[in-house]
Amino acid sequence: MEITLGTFLALGAILFGIGAIGFLVRRNVLIQLMSIELMLNAVNVVLVAVNRYHPDNHAGQIFAFFVIAVAAAEAAVGLAIVIGLFRLKKSVSAADANLMKH
Amino acid sequence: MNAWIAISPLLLLVGGGLLVMLVDAFTKERNDLATVTAATLFLSAGVSLFALLSGKDPVDVPEVFGAFLATDRLGLFFDVAIGLGGGLSALLAGGYLREHGLERGEFYVLVIFSAFGAMVLARATDMLTLFVGLETMSLGVYALAGFRRGSPRSIEGALKYFLLGSFAAAILLFGSALIYAATTHTDFAGIGATVAAGDADIKLLLMGLLLVLVGLAFKVSAVPFHMWTPDVYEGAPTPATTFMSVVVKAAAFAVFVRVVITAFGDDLSASSAGGWPPILAGLAVVTMVYGNLAAVGQTSIKRMLAYSSIAHAGYLLVGMAAASVVGEKAISAVLFYLMAYTVSNVLAFGSLILMGSRGREAVSFDDLAGVGRRHPLAALPMVIGVLTLMGFPPTAGFFGKYYVFSAAVEAGGGFVWLAILGVLASAIGAFYYLRVIVAMFMKDPVPGEPVAVPMRSGSVTAALVISGLLVMDMGLMPGSMLDLAIAAAEQLFAG
Amino acid sequence: MFETYLPVFLMIGVASAVALGMFLATTLAGPKKPSPEKNLPYESGSNTTGANHIRLSVKFYLTAILFVVFDIEAVFLYPWGGMFRDLGWFGFVEMLLFLVILGVTLVYAWKKGALEWEK
Repeated sequence: MEITLGTFLALGAILFGIGAIGFLVRRNVLIQLMSIELMLNAVNVVLVAVNRYHPDNHAGQIFAFFVIAVAAAEAAVGLAIVIGLFRLKKSVSAADANLMKH
Repeated sequence: MNAWIAISPLLLLVGGGLLVMLVDAFTKERNDLATVTAATLFLSAGVSLFALLSGKDPVDVPEVFGAFLATDRLGLFFDVAIGLGGGLSALLAGGYLREHGLERGEFYVLVIFSAFGAMVLARATDMLTLFVGLETMSLGVYALAGFRRGSPRSIEGALKYFLLGSFAAAILLFGSALIYAATTHTDFAGIGATVAAGDADIKLLLMGLLLVLVGLAFKVSAVPFHMWTPDVYEGAPTPATTFMSVVVKAAAFAVFVRVVITAFGDDLSASSAGGWPPILAGLAVVTMVYGNLAAVGQTSIKRMLAYSSIAHAGYLLVGMAAASVVGEKAISAVLFYLMAYTVSNVLAFGSLILMGSRGREAVSFDDLAGVGRRHPLAALPMVIGVLTLMGFPPTAGFFGKYYVFSAAVEAGGGFVWLAILGVLASAIGAFYYLRVIVAMFMKDPVPGEPVAVPMRSGSVTAALVISGLLVMDMGLMPGSMLDLAIAAAEQLFAG
Repeated sequence: MFETYLPVFLMIGVASAVALGMFLATTLAGPKKPSPEKNLPYESGSNTTGANHIRLSVKFYLTAILFVVFDIEAVFLYPWGGMFRDLGWFGFVEMLLFLVILGVTLVYAWKKGALEWEK
């Protein structure tokens, strides 16, 4: 099997898909958070791989650094909100956040 | 004009934000934080306005900002909108937080840094700055939405906003990675040049464009990506709702403009047969219709205003779609609309804040019953606020709608139908906007229920006076603001 | 394809064999004299107390969050360190500003009591 850019793109797409499905089917907020992290890391795979095959600048690698940093900040805010939810509801299930209906 | 001056609104916000943080950490005094925050944001808006009015174009762009941050008039225009919207929200918070026992300095820190993120987003000329700006803005706003920690609704809104917002950001990010894979560029100009030269992988590119549009549609709360909006708007403390309805929307539309015009302005992506114009037109139709219909049945004014903000996103998308044919005219109309929407929405939400006092908020139509007869002067801002959101002349909202719809008519073809649909949808809007006035002046409060008493707060009054005057100013003399919008749009299309 | 990754597969094989072998050898050859005392979970030699499903204090999360946020910022220091000489004074001042902003946030967290264990 020849490893090409297409292989990496497929890997990225599969990881992203697993993350997206995990986000949509699970109701546990912490699992949903992890799914989002997986999606962001799938993006990193694509960014770094594209950069490897087109090394005329380092846009992809720099981008990946920023994604890592932002993902950490996002996790921090997310966990803070989850703790807020847990304090009020004693639960970390998104299904328990149901006061307001569409 | 030096590029450092063009970037100074951003630097001002960073300095002001750090200052507010330190004051909050080292003193127990909370009264002046609202004033300092508002002053920082207004100063930032003022510097941008001065730079815009000076009429000189930025030159001498330093290498560092080169491809990442724009120093153009569009950026300055949105600095004005964001600084104004953010500053007015901070003034509203000054009265609201004290009245409802929520006085914590974090609110102001978050407002300043979110506004900073919004300005970065509005100036983004690269997928990287787009993402960083978007997240800097959003993370602050998620926290603002959940600021009332003891309220299950506030936390619930924050949770929904956070989960769906992060999901949408991840989708947008994957889209930009695909665009990078297709063009090997992350800067908008580079993407545009590669696509125009025919060197891009079209399949990957279109998939990337679609995902980026989904992410942006979420941020501007276009149907069907609006699910979070009513809950978040209802649950968040009202000044935070004001902030997200004006600042987040303005910044998201700013980057929307840059992405579709600079990165995807080529003949293929911007053709009426394929590419983004039909997608945006479709989004505009469902957003206008759904937003207005759903707003009719609401009992909470805060929720009604949330659906109204969805409807306004629809009108703005009409302008965006028309930009594929009549670029400059449509974009300048969108810019004017956003400025008008900013001051109008601050006026409406601010009036709602004014009506709540002593720990009791006014949120529903029943809460406002008869308040116009008991306190006519306090009801005046709400009257102007709903009239301008409705698009009643001579207010800012009227000219916003007029410019957007006439741009669509000028674009011709199917866009004329978009404009007609827009006018019909705004007619539905009259129902629920006028219901607010009916409730205030013609309804009697339910016996036994507590009646709304307007709060006394200098900073809330100041915010209402400023936004009210601007609404009337842009309604009576729309020319000067329109000129600024046209100049910004011209420069965008000039390259 | 296979030849390229052969050393990797060999490494995986050898490592697994060594680990399994050691495990098997001790299980088969070692003397077994179980007692209640030995079946207790090992906690640094002190006696175990309570169940193992205790709820951790929220302070752990707070500290962990703060650690992650400040730790990740180092990601920007590495590339800068690599390019330190090429970037010159401009890069130095930029990084200094970045660190000052980080410092202000640390001072903020400190003054707000986020770093105190006992309140």
